[in-house]
Amino acid sequence: MTVKLWNFFPREALYECYQCARCTGSCPALEVAEALGPRETILKCLNLGHDEVVEDERLWVCCTCNVCEDRCPQKIPISDLLVALRNSAARRGNIPDKLQIAIELLAKTGRSMIVHQLDEMRAHHGLAPLMPVPIDEVREVLKKTKLDDVIEF
Amino acid sequence: MKYALFLGCAIPIKYPGFEAATRRVCERLGIELVDMPFACCPPPTSLKMVHHDSWLALAALNLCRAEEAGLDLLTLCSGCVNTLKEANHTLKKSDSKRRKINRILEDQNHHYKGTIEVTHILDVLYQDSVVEKLIKEMSLELPMKIGCHYGCHYFRPPKIMYPDELSDSESYVPVKMDHLLSIIGMEPTEYSRKFLCCGSPLGANADQDAGYAIVKEKLGHIRERHIDALSVICPSCFEQFDMGQIALSRKFKDQSKIPIFYLTQLVGLSMGMTPKEVGLDVHRVKSKKLLESIGIS
Amino acid sequence: MKQALDDMDKKANSPADLRVGVYVCHCGKNIGSTVDCEAVAQFASTLPHVTLAKDSLYTCSEPGQEQIKTDIREQKLNRVVVASCTPRLHEPTFRAACESAGLNPYLLEMANIREHCSWVHLHEREAATSKAKDLVAMAVARAVRLEPQFELSVPVKRSSLVIGGGVAGIQAALDMADAGYQVYLVEKSGSIGGRMAQIDKTFPTMDCSICILAPKMSEVGRHPNIQMLTLSEIKEVTGHIGNFKVKILKKARYVTDGCTACGDCIQACPQLAPDEFNAGLSIRRAIYIPFAQAVPSRYLVDMGLCLNNQGIVACDRCFQACTRKCIDFADQDKIVEIEVGTIVVATGVDVYDPTALTELGYGRFPNVITTLEFERLINAGGPSSGELIRPSDRKRPKNIAFLQCIGSRSKRSNPYCSNVCCMNTIKDALLIKEHWPETEVFVFYIDIRAFGKGFEDLFQRARREGVTFIRGIPGEIIEDISNGNLTLLGENTLLGTQYRYTMEMVILSVGIKPRSDAPIVQRLLNLSTDTDGFYMEAHPKLRPVDTTTGGVFLAGAAEGPKDIKDSVTQASAAASRANILMSKGEVKIPAVTARINTDKCVACGLCAKVCPYHAIEGSKELGYYRVVEAMCQGCGACVPECKFGALDQAHFSDAQIVSQIHEALANEPERKIIAFACNWCSYAGADFAGVSRIQYPDNVRIIRTMCSARVAPEWIELAFSMGAGAVLVSGCHPSDCHYNNANQNTARRVEKFWKRLDKLGLNKDRLRLAWVSAAEGAQFAKVIKEMEQGLRELTPDQVLETKQKLAKRVPRKGEPV
Repeated sequence: MTVKLWNFFPREALYECYQCARCTGSCPALEVAEALGPRETILKCLNLGHDEVVEDERLWVCCTCNVCEDRCPQKIPISDLLVALRNSAARRGNIPDKLQIAIELLAKTGRSMIVHQLDEMRAHHGLAPLMPVPIDEVREVLKKTKLDDVIEF
Repeated sequence: MKYALFLGCAIPIKYPGFEAATRRVCERLGIELVDMPFACCPPPTSLKMVHHDSWLALAALNLCRAEEAGLDLLTLCSGCVNTLKEANHTLKKSDSKRRKINRILEDQNHHYKGTIEVTHILDVLYQDSVVEKLIKEMSLELPMKIGCHYGCHYFRPPKIMYPDELSDSESYVPVKMDHLLSIIGMEPTEYSRKFLCCGSPLGANADQDAGYAIVKEKLGHIRERHIDALSVICPSCFEQFDMGQIALSRKFKDQSKIPIFYLTQLVGLSMGMTPKEVGLDVHRVKSKKLLESIGIS
Repeated sequence: MKQALDDMDKKANSPADLRVGVYVCHCGKNIGSTVDCEAVAQFASTLPHVTLAKDSLYTCSEPGQEQIKTDIREQKLNRVVVASCTPRLHEPTFRAACESAGLNPYLLEMANIREHCSWVHLHEREAATSKAKDLVAMAVARAVRLEPQFELSVPVKRSSLVIGGGVAGIQAALDMADAGYQVYLVEKSGSIGGRMAQIDKTFPTMDCSICILAPKMSEVGRHPNIQMLTLSEIKEVTGHIGNFKVKILKKARYVTDGCTACGDCIQACPQLAPDEFNAGLSIRRAIYIPFAQAVPSRYLVDMGLCLNNQGIVACDRCFQACTRKCIDFADQDKIVEIEVGTIVVATGVDVYDPTALTELGYGRFPNVITTLEFERLINAGGPSSGELIRPSDRKRPKNIAFLQCIGSRSKRSNPYCSNVCCMNTIKDALLIKEHWPETEVFVFYIDIRAFGKGFEDLFQRARREGVTFIRGIPGEIIEDISNGNLTLLGENTLLGTQYRYTMEMVILSVGIKPRSDAPIVQRLLNLSTDTDGFYMEAHPKLRPVDTTTGGVFLAGAAEGPKDIKDSVTQASAAASRANILMSKGEVKIPAVTARINTDKCVACGLCAKVCPYHAIEGSKELGYYRVVEAMCQGCGACVPECKFGALDQAHFSDAQIVSQIHEALANEPERKIIAFACNWCSYAGADFAGVSRIQYPDNVRIIRTMCSARVAPEWIELAFSMGAGAVLVSGCHPSDCHYNNANQNTARRVEKFWKRLDKLGLNKDRLRLAWVSAAEGAQFAKVIKEMEQGLRELTPDQVLETKQKLAKRVPRKGEPV
């Protein structure tokens, strides 16, 4: 697992961080919730190892807005780091329920959401029924990428 | 001008009014849209965070479909454009990732080549030739103070979304929506924290109330400038502001609500389409009074 | 080719007379812990002509040098090889040792087994040792072909040019002028004084900046040995150490010497512009004096702003107002030509413009200002006469925030620490506390760097006075439009909590960077710059104010961010270095000039065409060409141009280099990369890789030339026909060549060779051309790694094919067969 994580994100980039906190200073999630900001994430990866981070539920408290990376004076690819850590967390079962349900739906239907009486609603706006998703193809692809290692579908 | 129309999930399922407005506007502006059986993009806020390989493969599947038709992809949502642009960028750049994905797609008889581009409706409408046409097709101005909210995924990370338009500090400050709205007679108004996230992914993945706290912060700055309405280019941002204001008004009774519009709805109104034609009737925060004040009913 | 080598050897000493001493240095553990120095010495003793070979802990030490001297005398050594650090460091040391023992200093050769070996192969003892043996063998082969050389002396003019009139330029000018030399002080703006004149107080002593600077400025103005040229820029520099010819553009001032700076003219002038000296916080007229204490104390007209542009007098109100009639609209720019022996570069710095950092609102929020603007704001001579007010409403702010590291330590702007901002902020914070003690002052920082004398005291004092230091730079600033106040959002990293502070004014502590026109001076004087754009010193520790261009010295922040004290110290050092040259009155130039054998010369004149210094003269009528030794700078660009073998370069002769190639390829040639590196940039770049301990493959063998233009296509051909795996030709970046763009010949010759390889159907990727500057150690290592990658795909058949196809060529006319 460790090897994979640092394959995705260059570990050396972490050493560029000097903890200026511009990332956390502009983080909307930290402003309103108990989140694990990028600064602390990087520091923990460096000093305590990433296991500590991967097991932390606060890792998911994030807007994915990428403003941290935009503000980082050292151009650390923070979004890549967070994707790598969360992928790793999900594999270990650290994944929010809401997200798990959303991905199960995506894998089953090929869409992020469903509603009742969709055709009627679209007709109200003068629109034809929505083209169906080639769901078999989607499921085959997701099987091959081994999504079911993380989430069963 | 012809594009493969990538509707995504939220627009055709939750907000078909945006789709209707977009189709009508594009038809009038001579932009041909081709429908195809696309799957979910999939979102940069969900599948990418959980399983990057699956995210990339599914995005590649969508890209292949447009590529096979020889058409560039037109998206209507900041999330979709973020996923599809980044996936397209990654697959064009990395031989090893391209090989890996093509091995996965080959049983489905697809092969990603990297021959198309991904774009967003705002960038399409902003092209000179389209703006010229728009000026001809316009029948009324919409004189009101409008705030623009671009949505983070539309332009971040800038090195992938707008690599050719970076500032000196290698950042990107979007302006196209402001310019476009001024063309249809609106008064785009700057406000503090314009580029603050809407809070939608935070609500979806973690904490709904925290997400709405961001909406509250943002609306405070918008009210400060006496802005009449907010224009967005993403259904998730829309929902966050539209539903968010309803939820917040239950909690904090005294606050006035600010109508939210999807960009093509405003463009449609300026071309003389009715509020119903552009699908305004299903918005939770009503815009009826505001539009009546500028003579639209 | 072997035959050719022997032929060339015949000219040198007969082999029986040759007695080489080899000294392998451990350099403590620097070499010794990686390279088996005893084994290398043992190996050296087996090489031809080697009389003795020894290893020692520190060859450069007094006993080490004594040993060499003793051996020269007692063992009758006539060649010395020292295998140690780079010749760029200790060649002068060992040359002096040889000379004092009666051996011509040019009979010394060094093998660089530290920067080019032990430091770059730290963990590969065996490979490093074997490489060190190769390097020693190459050095011995070259040593036996060395010839005694005699250096030419050139006179040094007893005058100096100082570029830049800031505190560093002022100090250097005064020091040299006081020593009795004629000094020309050239300043771009209308007054000397520079950045120091703009600053209110200095740290850590809190002196009034202009109060201590103004007397020095006046002294410059009245010094009999200083000629001050303001509104002036350097346009052309020719010549060399001891004798530079400089063309200076002196722009029209439109105000004559008669000006008494009474100021009657200003009120008359209708044209307004932002005042640069006050960082744009106030306005000035088209006729103005930069600041009250300006030297020369004379007004000037900004013709870009004046209504009388392009010689047409549309407005003469200032002329009418001037009782002494000192305004002359007919004044013209002129070129001043001077001759000097030395040059001191003190061009100073610009400040970082934080507009690009949109989240901080600089340029949009009136109450967000920079530290330089703040200096003017609280200066008694500034726009508010020293009152602490904020721009939006001219009210005194109740609380003020300083943001550190703005534009510094960032890959988005300047990657380096700007050195002065921490102490400058602390000083400013204390000034506020001193004059307006009820003001709250917050400093948002990452690290406070208070390293200098008295700095930590000042920092502690600021804390005691109530300045609050918060670790964590705000991510964003929000302006309240109703009152102009600013809310700072961020994280206090020491408490681990988010903060929101509302401040009435924010001061961005902006970094400093090289002047935007620094590259112009760099090109005019052939200076090197580091990766940050500051001028590079000849050696970071031991020659910190010298440059790689002889006779040119550095002073002040142009060399790197520094405060006033350091700038003044460095200026005095630069002046002292220049004084040494000027007081001696002559300087020896290295005996590495080109020489023409007039017997072989057919007077084709091709060599004269490529000489960047016009140092080769002659004609068809005369029947030959010759090198003017005093003008020749020793690049060697002319030598490969001669098709008749009439040209050679002293100390970098064909025979010497060819012997190095032979030794380098004696074993496993197909594994080897022959790298030709120019002395100034690429060899220094490889040294820098060593100093930085950047590891790269061990199979490269570096051969030094003065300029990459010395690299003869015949050498490349020889290397390949001996089976070399790859050849690298590396030199300074095209515009940075130390020999007046001689390296354009390098590019031309390599391209021609590529074409030839192409024609023969050979893989041209095996010959690489790379521009590597002295600061690009990482780049050098990267090139070698890439070439090594290429070697792995090389097949024995390809090596053989190249060998055969290149060996088959017909020898040229006049060339030994």
